[in-house]
Amino acid sequence: MDPVSLSLLNNRFEGVARKMANTLLRTGRSGVLNIARDFSCCIVTAGGDLLAANEGLPIHVLSGPDIMARVMTEFAPDLRRGDAFLNNSPYHGCSHAADHTILVPVLDEDGRHRFTVLAKAHQADIGNSIPTTYHGSAQDVYEEGALIFPSVQVQRDYRTNADFVRMCRMRIRVPDQWWGDFLAMLGAARIGEQEIMAMAAEVGWDRLSDFATEWLDYSERRMDEALRALPAGRVTRTSTHDRFPGTPEDGIPVKVTVEIDPAAGRIAVDLTDNMDCLPCGLNLSEACSRTAAMVGIFNAIDHTVPKNAGAFRRIDLRLRENCVVGIPRHPTSCSVATTNVADRVANPVQCAIAEIAEGHGMAECGAVIPPSIAVISGIHPKTGAPFVNQLFLGMTAGAAAPHADAWITIGHVGNAGMCNLDSVELDELRQPIFVRARALIPDTEGAGTTTGAPSMAVEYGPVGCDISVGYVSDGNVNAALGARGGGTGGRSAQLRIRPDGTREPLDACAQVTLHDGETILSISCGGGGYGPPFARAPELVARDVTLGRITAERARTVYGVALGPDGQPDHAATRALRAKG
Amino acid sequence: MRFAVDTGGTFTDLVVEDAAGTAHVFKARTTPDDPIAGMLDALGQAAAAFGEPLEAFLGRGTALLHGTTHAINAIITGRTARTALLTTEGHGDMLVLREGGRAETFNFTHAFPEPYIPRSLTFEIPERIMADGSVRTPLDEAAVVAVLDRLRAAKVEAVAVCLLWSIVNPAHEERVGALIARHLPGVPFTLSHRLNPAVREFRRASSAAVDASLKPAMGRYMVALEDRLRAAGFGGRVLVVTSQAGVIDAADAAEAPIHIVNSGPSMAPLAGRHYAAASDPGRDAIVADTGGTTYDVSLVRGGTIPKTRETWIGPRFRGIMLGFPWVDVKSVGAGGGSIGWVDGGGLLHVGPASAGAVPGPACYGRGGTAPTLTDAAVALGYIDPDYFLGGSMPLDPGRARAALAPLATRLGMGLEATAEAIVAIATENRVQAILDITVKQGIDPREAVLVGGGGAAGLNSVKIARRLGCPRLIVPELGAALSAAGALMSDLKAEYHAAHVTNTRAFDFAGVGRTLAALRARCAAFAEGPGRGAAGTTVTLKADARYDTQVWEIEVPLAGTGIDGPDDLAAFVEAFHTAHQALFSFRDPDSAIEVIGWTAEVTCAIARGPDLRVARPATLPGRTARPVHFADGGWRDVAVHRLEALGPGDAVAGPAIVENDFTTVVIDPGATARRGADGTLVVDLSPAVVAAPTLMTEGAP
Repeated sequence: MDPVSLSLLNNRFEGVARKMANTLLRTGRSGVLNIARDFSCCIVTAGGDLLAANEGLPIHVLSGPDIMARVMTEFAPDLRRGDAFLNNSPYHGCSHAADHTILVPVLDEDGRHRFTVLAKAHQADIGNSIPTTYHGSAQDVYEEGALIFPSVQVQRDYRTNADFVRMCRMRIRVPDQWWGDFLAMLGAARIGEQEIMAMAAEVGWDRLSDFATEWLDYSERRMDEALRALPAGRVTRTSTHDRFPGTPEDGIPVKVTVEIDPAAGRIAVDLTDNMDCLPCGLNLSEACSRTAAMVGIFNAIDHTVPKNAGAFRRIDLRLRENCVVGIPRHPTSCSVATTNVADRVANPVQCAIAEIAEGHGMAECGAVIPPSIAVISGIHPKTGAPFVNQLFLGMTAGAAAPHADAWITIGHVGNAGMCNLDSVELDELRQPIFVRARALIPDTEGAGTTTGAPSMAVEYGPVGCDISVGYVSDGNVNAALGARGGGTGGRSAQLRIRPDGTREPLDACAQVTLHDGETILSISCGGGGYGPPFARAPELVARDVTLGRITAERARTVYGVALGPDGQPDHAATRALRAKG
Repeated sequence: MRFAVDTGGTFTDLVVEDAAGTAHVFKARTTPDDPIAGMLDALGQAAAAFGEPLEAFLGRGTALLHGTTHAINAIITGRTARTALLTTEGHGDMLVLREGGRAETFNFTHAFPEPYIPRSLTFEIPERIMADGSVRTPLDEAAVVAVLDRLRAAKVEAVAVCLLWSIVNPAHEERVGALIARHLPGVPFTLSHRLNPAVREFRRASSAAVDASLKPAMGRYMVALEDRLRAAGFGGRVLVVTSQAGVIDAADAAEAPIHIVNSGPSMAPLAGRHYAAASDPGRDAIVADTGGTTYDVSLVRGGTIPKTRETWIGPRFRGIMLGFPWVDVKSVGAGGGSIGWVDGGGLLHVGPASAGAVPGPACYGRGGTAPTLTDAAVALGYIDPDYFLGGSMPLDPGRARAALAPLATRLGMGLEATAEAIVAIATENRVQAILDITVKQGIDPREAVLVGGGGAAGLNSVKIARRLGCPRLIVPELGAALSAAGALMSDLKAEYHAAHVTNTRAFDFAGVGRTLAALRARCAAFAEGPGRGAAGTTVTLKADARYDTQVWEIEVPLAGTGIDGPDDLAAFVEAFHTAHQALFSFRDPDSAIEVIGWTAEVTCAIARGPDLRVARPATLPGRTARPVHFADGGWRDVAVHRLEALGPGDAVAGPAIVENDFTTVVIDPGATARRGADGTLVVDLSPAVVAAPTLMTEGAP
């Protein structure tokens, strides 16, 4: 296929994914979907190869859709138009149980399966045993409590199976909200199906299939080129998840070994030298183990390489069964698989690449999930109606990049800043809560030649009722590490503030009840810095002081920059400070 | 006689509408340091063409309608006032944090954007109002005065105020405004609840910040504009085009300059709507305005021009959020100057980088060497190099081919094939821009008419229409000056917004009644004020509504003057379901609907009837022919028709070229063009064979 047609058809497939995503964003009901954009839409080939995805959460799509599409055809070989399947099983390719995924097979006029479109969206509630979709302390999937759908047919002939809907309505809290989100996902998937059918009517099914083959080959060439541009090297790095209920005393150290072989145009990530699955909700699903490693890789190399099955051919991932960062066995709980430990895989991978190749890679992003983005629930005092929703009041966590300071609101490495920040007013309108403050904290950035994000403090509490707040905040102990001499970011913390102003530290992984008049103070993690702080341009340090990001004291001691009375760098004094070291 | 002046980046377009309703087009160089001088130059040209002294000529004018990029340029270049933001204690990072969101998942080359007002000029005010309007923390007036003292010391030139929940209880913002007036006399300020009473504090704060920062300069500009036009002899009314495709008096624009930030691109859709309605009454339209750097796409749906609140100056998530509705115009870097390049994997791209006005495409001969879309068009013979802008600017085809040659070598393709490929990719980029906006607004391009505006529109508009499956493309007679033509068609317009949240589960008839009555009263005051003497006044009421727990509202017009009882409510609910289904392919009939805001739009008609025709040149060249390259069959001599020489009903079968002084339209093989009664060039295309999307409707079991 000529390069022009290749480019044109790629644009169109990407257009399909965008159109699906727009539908989902605009029509979704729960905050996790319509604010946090915690969803993804993609198209895979009949064989399950990822072809095109929307610009969505990276932890969602790189791997997972491929496995789920293959599972779909394995369980239901007799596909026909009008079918739709639901998969949220971490044992069958889904990231974690909260990510309901709708799969719609796209068939040609002869009934031949050509593509599969997927719409995956994090739900506000999935019927867990406690009102949160992140059950960090669940010993197994039974304690976790979610309804698990291992590729279950939910539509035939474009009609929804009412039995399945009744089941969900009996089990899922705020069932109308779930139903609205279900419709939004189905709508997105059906739009994807119709768009591909319209494209096929124009150019023919075989040409679309040819495109898929050639586009993946092209993407592999781009990946090859990107890897050949890097130096050879092999580095092992460790990133440690804090101690949580169900983890060993020292938390979960995740060891990754990255090897770049530019001559062969290949990169390898080995995750096998890690502990077995744990009796808690932090274990990774296979989809998340694979995706997290790839997020670290793609954050670290030429960002224009297409992320699809073609590029993935150049990646060798080594996983093992029953490993906390590998392939879990049922009934291991993977409730929190998309965030906490997954971040502890992606972060050291991108740092390892930074250590091998200066000017590439990134520092570590901060860890999550602090109470500022907790799932809150309660009974609304005015209406008497129950509510469950995930807040997105703020997380920063951005890692320094080789040539740019951190994108502050990155969220965490698996989110990539896609998450929107709640409007305080919308949150106060929607739930009986009051947000007292939301502010960046000075001197918490990962220092470096380029800087990591500062931490953010968010304080909120209920109005006229009690609320339950569920969160799983990693990073209280293990801060985001810097790369190539960069410093660590601020640590996370969480406190209850009583009406009299007294403060009580709270557990890092908890379901807390806040009483009327109390607030919770959530401090999110900062991100790591890249390169030595003494190499940072003095003008940038002066600007950071002017903006209140850092204090003049930190400018002097950490960055070796002295400021004059006008706030501008005193170059002579700065040289002296930096020479002293 | 009326004048419409569109001050663009390179040229200032003037369309004079004479007493007989005939249009005359003039172009002068834009003078960026003093845009009014360029305007007067264009008016001077017109006066000369009419054979009158400028003073006498201007004296005949009743109105001057002005579209300007002055405000947006001030924002982009940072030449706005030194502005401070006052906000609620605890929320001083409001503009720093924005609303989150990021565009390119794996691209870490961009630094986090700086806020519109730096944190060092943002001050927290001790006070807090709650969602229900109650006061949790009273306003600390002494603290406000202390802050104002600091603003004076910091030489602040304008102040924006955005306090949480001022839209429900404006008492604190009003009081802060009074204190600014007293303690910082002469310093302009903007209160967020007055300017943009909408929920979502970041957007409201951003609106207030941009508005306040423009007030000093735009105030000076509007005064100077009126003064200099008066001094030159103009005695009519000076009106400025708004971002919402209406016009307001220049003095009102100075009071709330945020309304004219997108003055430039908002006019084309008005003209497009007019020409589309004349050609295809009742059909939705896609209006494309082709510039040198950008390709601007807007829509007409059901006779109205959709607006958006997702208004970014600069890139999405990294630019400046206006938080204020404007005509939904999508600009992509796919103008005539877009550069073709090949990536490491051997794939051809066109844009978004542009050769711009300087150095411009290689064929301009001004030092440009990168191969642009315009160079491809010259190399293919689409553009006659000796007849660009009526022959006033000769192009160099040799330089165009030389610029394309390295690309052809890299691609292993012939020169013409490379040029064809550039046109094809640029066409696809434009198509994607159109699809993106049509999808968002729920329009099916296969049922819409494409309106080609801008001088370079004709080069690939037939290809774009084909690719989209549009049944028809129209290129209006005034297409090359579509924006100025649109200004002549605009009416006086104002929009008022009120936040009042209610839910169909327990609809607050009384509260909604009061809210809408207040909005109607403001419309009536506008009609009696600026709108006095208008040919007609219309008031439209709209609700910003969503299904319960959605967060993105859609705008639903109300059928009558309010929602006064269960019947009105039922009609509104049905209208919402229908609109939602049209936009997103499904409805949820069992869900409650939440309304969070109300809008009243008042329009006072001042435009004349739809009979604007272009003056016919005294002499016209006859039909000629020149070689043009087409993908299917290579070079061939094709007929070149002069647009004005085509009579109504004359058909031109492709391949052919239709051109005039301002534009060139390529009629590809298989397409047929004819001239409509209103002078518009109409290209009919065979209907596309593609299935319409199936709609889904489900009730909860």
